[in-house]
Amino acid sequence: MTSFAIETKGLSKKFGSFTALDNLDLSIETGTIHGLLGPNGAGKTTAIKILCGLLKPNGGEGYVLGKKVPDRSILPEIGYMPQETALYLDLTVHGNLTLYGELFGLSKSRIAEREKELLDFVALQKWRDSLVSNLSGGMKHRVSLACSMIHEPKLLFLDEPTVGVDPELRASFWEYFGLLKKRSVTVVLTTHYMDEAQHCDRIALLRQGQLLAEGTPADVIKSAGVTNLEEAFLALAKRGDARS
Amino acid sequence: MNIHRALAITRRIFRGLRHDRRTVALMFLAPIVAMCVFGLAFSGDVEDVKVVVVNQDTEFAVPGLNVPVSFSQAIISNFDKEVLKVEYVADIEEGVHRVEEGDAYAVIIFPERFSESLYMKRQNPSYSGDTTIRVREDRSNVNVANAITKSVTDAILQTAREAGQDLPMKVDAEDAIYGKGAKFMDFFVPGIMAFVVFMLTTLLTLISFVGERTTGNLERLQSTPLRESELVVGYAIAFSIIGMLQTVVLLVIGVAAFDIMIVGNIVLAFAVIALLAVVSLSLGILLSSLAKREAQAIQFFPLIVLPTFLLAGIFWPVEAIPQWLRPLSYLIPPSYAVDATRSVMLRGWGVGEIWVDIVALCGFAAAFLAVAILSLKRGRR
Repeated sequence: MTSFAIETKGLSKKFGSFTALDNLDLSIETGTIHGLLGPNGAGKTTAIKILCGLLKPNGGEGYVLGKKVPDRSILPEIGYMPQETALYLDLTVHGNLTLYGELFGLSKSRIAEREKELLDFVALQKWRDSLVSNLSGGMKHRVSLACSMIHEPKLLFLDEPTVGVDPELRASFWEYFGLLKKRSVTVVLTTHYMDEAQHCDRIALLRQGQLLAEGTPADVIKSAGVTNLEEAFLALAKRGDARS
Repeated sequence: MNIHRALAITRRIFRGLRHDRRTVALMFLAPIVAMCVFGLAFSGDVEDVKVVVVNQDTEFAVPGLNVPVSFSQAIISNFDKEVLKVEYVADIEEGVHRVEEGDAYAVIIFPERFSESLYMKRQNPSYSGDTTIRVREDRSNVNVANAITKSVTDAILQTAREAGQDLPMKVDAEDAIYGKGAKFMDFFVPGIMAFVVFMLTTLLTLISFVGERTTGNLERLQSTPLRESELVVGYAIAFSIIGMLQTVVLLVIGVAAFDIMIVGNIVLAFAVIALLAVVSLSLGILLSSLAKREAQAIQFFPLIVLPTFLLAGIFWPVEAIPQWLRPLSYLIPPSYAVDATRSVMLRGWGVGEIWVDIVALCGFAAAFLAVAILSLKRGRR
């Protein structure tokens, strides 16, 4: 066993003639928060879907929790929050959480415990019995996050977890991710917000399916010779264009 | 296959329905409305058809009888009063005019000296008088026209019988082997049961699975230990139960309102319907992989409904379908369910007699389920 929760070697994915992911080499240490950054179409979501076993790579290999993906045996250990709301609108918050709890084989009492913890965390306790269809976009997003964590996964894939979430709650999200990290949970997330990426232990900048840079936020900024991540991304993108 | 995970899916479907009254209403009111509307509309015989009679006949003094007789009047009085509403007009021209104007569906013309000619022909078959009752119909509505012809023919036979001039042969179809005294509704309810369950299950799973795919729910489900087969089985359990509940509702109303005949084992009929529900939901899942949005899924509606409606033997028997179209009937799963439930309910048949239908439905279910599961797995390309 390696100390890496995730390792990819030359991971590639094509959809027809479109290259979504091009030769991605990435190692993510267990118990860290790792951000995948980049514009739309950079390959962030594709990478996460491959690692969750939702897509098959065309080339290269991906290892998740020591198993070569796709491998069903890792599924009980991972949590995945898709970019779409991915909730049953005709169920209550409680109904959605219960479904995923049951699918992960949790006992009734365990589901109840986890539900309480998670609803406290996403501040939706009093909405427990509301239909998801009646919730606002941001609230749905929080329910979605809670659903992906009901079974206490060792590895959490979050595709844009903070979109549509107000700044105050976003701060509490990051606090919680820090807490998960202390329990040696690995969090892999994608984000558009460069300022948020500062909270990550390490980040990977992706563009057009390729890895532009990888390292701690400070390293990446330094290597680009700029003062913040936004500028780092632009500088690295320009450098990449000049090379090709 | 982990049955707990499959049941989690089943529970979530029922939990969802608890908050979705519109769908529940569709599931249970639509069958009732369909049964009543179709049942009443189709079972009703043709009634109250306006016809005009031109009677040029005159009474005839039969030798040896004191009173003159009119055979034409006798026939007219034997018209089925439920079917024909008779009005008299003076001449043919006016009668034809009434039909042309759409005031009546037929003009029934008794020729001059009809009674006399009839009597004379009995005495001497080579007698040349006119004994033809001419019925000039508006055949733009074939059903109505046929009902008129039949009513007139029946009246002639009835009159002949009353006059002691019955044909020396007859047909007795009273002592039926199956379905003795069956009415249209008895024949129809098993058909509509299968139709409603097939249509609604296919449609609801189709829309439901397009939803699963477009909302990202399917992806989230696939990132859990849930297998595609468990997902489909979970759906199958839920929709079999719903299909059976729909059947119960239809049967209760069928018995209470239409006094339908059930001579066989009703549990077997339920089992057939549940099997049909499994076939239908697999078809729904399959079709869902061909639709990108709910609006596209709706376009499959006529594709599902029309062939079933026309070819599955719900309203008219497969034998009434042109021979070259019949193979299509055998490709439509509800055909087998209609045949099986009808045989169980009206003929009292058991598994021993309907096994061909059951095997066919199982075959469809197995094939569709397998392809449906594959179509879900294909998402992980």
